[in-house]
Amino acid sequence: MVQLIVTPETALADEPICIRATGLNPFQVVTFTASLTDEKGKLFQSRAFYKANEAGNVALDQAAALGGDYVGVHPMGLFWSLKPVNPFRRLLKQDVMNSPFYIQLDIFDSLLLEDSPKIHPKASQMIERWFSGPGLQRIPVRNGRVRGAFFLPPGEGPFPGVIDLFGGIGGLIEFRASLLASHGFGVLALAYFAYEDLPRSLLEVDLEYFEEAANMLLHHPQIQRSGIGVISVCKGAEIGLAMAIHLEQVAATICINGTNAVHETPCKYRDLVISPIPHQKEYTQIHVSGALNFRRIKGDPRDEVNQQSVLPVEKARGHILFIVGEKDECLNSKAYAEQAMEQLKSHGRSNGTLLSYPGAGHLIEPPYSPLCFASWNPFLSRPFLWGGDIRSHAAAQEHSWREIQKFLRCHLAPSRSKL
Amino acid sequence: MAQIIVHPKTALVDVPLQIRVTGLLPSQLIMLQASLTDERGELFQSQVFYKADENGEVDLEHAGALGGDYVGIHPMGLFWSMKPKKMLSRLLKRDVINSPFLVHLSVYDITKPFSSSPDSLMASETVERWYSTPGVQRIQLKEGRVRGALFLPPGDGPFPGVIDLFGGIGGLVEFRASLLASHGFATLALAYFAYDDLPKNLDVIDIEYFEEAADILLRHPKVFGTHPLVSAFLSSPLLLSIGMAMATFLKQVAATVCINGVFLAEQVVIKYRNEKFFSFSQHLERLRINELGLLAFYSAVGNPQEEANKHGLLPVERAEGHILFIVGEKDYSVNSKIHAEQVMEQLRRHGKNNATLLSYPGAGHLIEPPYSPLCVASMNPFIPRPVLWGGETIPHAEAQEHSWKEILKFLRHHLTPTSISKL
Repeated sequence: MVQLIVTPETALADEPICIRATGLNPFQVVTFTASLTDEKGKLFQSRAFYKANEAGNVALDQAAALGGDYVGVHPMGLFWSLKPVNPFRRLLKQDVMNSPFYIQLDIFDSLLLEDSPKIHPKASQMIERWFSGPGLQRIPVRNGRVRGAFFLPPGEGPFPGVIDLFGGIGGLIEFRASLLASHGFGVLALAYFAYEDLPRSLLEVDLEYFEEAANMLLHHPQIQRSGIGVISVCKGAEIGLAMAIHLEQVAATICINGTNAVHETPCKYRDLVISPIPHQKEYTQIHVSGALNFRRIKGDPRDEVNQQSVLPVEKARGHILFIVGEKDECLNSKAYAEQAMEQLKSHGRSNGTLLSYPGAGHLIEPPYSPLCFASWNPFLSRPFLWGGDIRSHAAAQEHSWREIQKFLRCHLAPSRSKL
Repeated sequence: MAQIIVHPKTALVDVPLQIRVTGLLPSQLIMLQASLTDERGELFQSQVFYKADENGEVDLEHAGALGGDYVGIHPMGLFWSMKPKKMLSRLLKRDVINSPFLVHLSVYDITKPFSSSPDSLMASETVERWYSTPGVQRIQLKEGRVRGALFLPPGDGPFPGVIDLFGGIGGLVEFRASLLASHGFATLALAYFAYDDLPKNLDVIDIEYFEEAADILLRHPKVFGTHPLVSAFLSSPLLLSIGMAMATFLKQVAATVCINGVFLAEQVVIKYRNEKFFSFSQHLERLRINELGLLAFYSAVGNPQEEANKHGLLPVERAEGHILFIVGEKDYSVNSKIHAEQVMEQLRRHGKNNATLLSYPGAGHLIEPPYSPLCVASMNPFIPRPVLWGGETIPHAEAQEHSWKEILKFLRHHLTPTSISKL
């Protein structure tokens, strides 16, 4: 009798699981599939073809997939290779507290390219992937101008405080904040436009808004007083870098696939206004899939005319971790991070670290998140290209998530003296 | 006032155009768009950004596109970079005699490219792209077992004869045959399954059917010599190269063009009189699904160099005519290069030098006549998921231009009466 054994069946979304099938015929070719329906009712699927060993077993931590959505030994491959049945949909958990993603794992005793109502799996297992750990609290934030959601781990604390910023699609994205909080950090998922009563579009970045959020976080009774961290991606990372430079509250900043200069929207802090490098949309390229590639529309921060827009990263007091996907098709993250590192070096600073991942795209997320190669964007008529090679991107997500937590624990430790 | 000047406005689809935009402001940024609606009502479009020169002009012979569907200087880029609005649609002209594709060229002043508000249209022009020249005749063929359409060039002839075969989609695809006829070849677009009363599926390939077709073609009063050419094109890795089988077994074949073909019997049996070549195992478990969910077959198709597959190899050294292999190195459906090289090697080992290989880096599976849009993936009626054909837009376009010229040269060279009599 064919059995599909999965442990654990319920886990945090960033935890690996063990998947095994037994009771097959020796050397039989089988198909493993994973299926997930998101909160909007959209189906995501993955499949891989394996050959059972002489005992009629397949253990995904030892067996190599022969084909399908990935090849080789990848115990979590079925998760990070999930694809939307309708292309260009992004998998994004909205409700991070009350429900998990339910993923159905199936095994078929034949090669199955597509689901068929006539063909039933030999064994199935439903598993739960949660974005919040037990005891995690979610507190909606509407303090002064600040809008977002605050995630507090169980226990007394105090916990290191972190602000989580996403990018140019706006709104409030919470899944990374809730996962990080499940690892012992007090995390504020901070919205800055296109959310509630915040401005509909980003016309300028006012660092005093982010300072208000930082102070609010620092003054929470269960948050450490010695300085906060920032984790940020894309446009959020541009803001994160500006926060690292101008806000003394920030002790550690993670910039994922961001820029080292102000682009498109001016950045201001009190009396200071940094004018942006304008986008040049005529350099937009169209990928074979029809998706838009914006990688070349940002002007070069090294041009003479753009110097006043370059962020003075050498002024940052805390530590900065740059995380870069070399196949980022949204922006040339590698060049920007290298320029920032070069700028630190030329000013005799050594508070920057660069982790550069070949093959990784723009949307570097917590481990086992499916690669989103391109997706629909609310502001554009065509899908938007993020880039990335599936396997390298998955490996980058696993590695960088560990590094992110290590970095935050190291630089937000309470024993560190106040900046 | 802005104007688009295009020449010629009416032409065969493989003829390049001169396109110029005038009456702009110096250094003005514009978007050029080409649109075409096919016979099923599907929209295909390309969009490209240019900057006018100091005279307020954009001449596509000299101006480099800044962005959009291609970058750089590509006078015909608007045509070969067109993409379907509905993903996975393939541009394929059905009526090749009575109507052209109408391509609408438009110039827009770009203020907000790709936003949902329409930009301002400054000028437009329509061109006709035909798949046949005036005077080309189409004759439906239904003789014996043979089904297809014969395209005759205008005039009395006699003309060299060509058989045109398409691949795994079945049915009858005529556009390449009508184009070849427009270049002076009497071309038989030959169906062999999923058409009329032909078998619905391809299980046994009987080369005698193709021999019957070759004889019918040769008997036609407007076709000269005793040797037609076979032009074989495979769009599915589940089929074998019939063209290679014809070249191997049929004395009537003087010259063969094989585009991205597979030279082994896959899941089907090839037979000719009392010889049979059986299939060998495919490895469907090696199928790959790419980041957009498209199916790449190339690793699932058996490697001709494997011992187990040796009995599936056709005895190509028996071919008497000349063979031209055209291979796209970014073909994701078949590893065409390995297969072509295997045949070249087999011929060399038998002391034959009647084959040439043209290998195009960056080109995909569907190498078509010039300026055809790259179809990187499409639905195949026999396969449940969209099939990835592969190809990079610009190198693929260049491969199409170059290979078409080479194909016409090859046909003219090997199908003249003098070269035929040498066989």
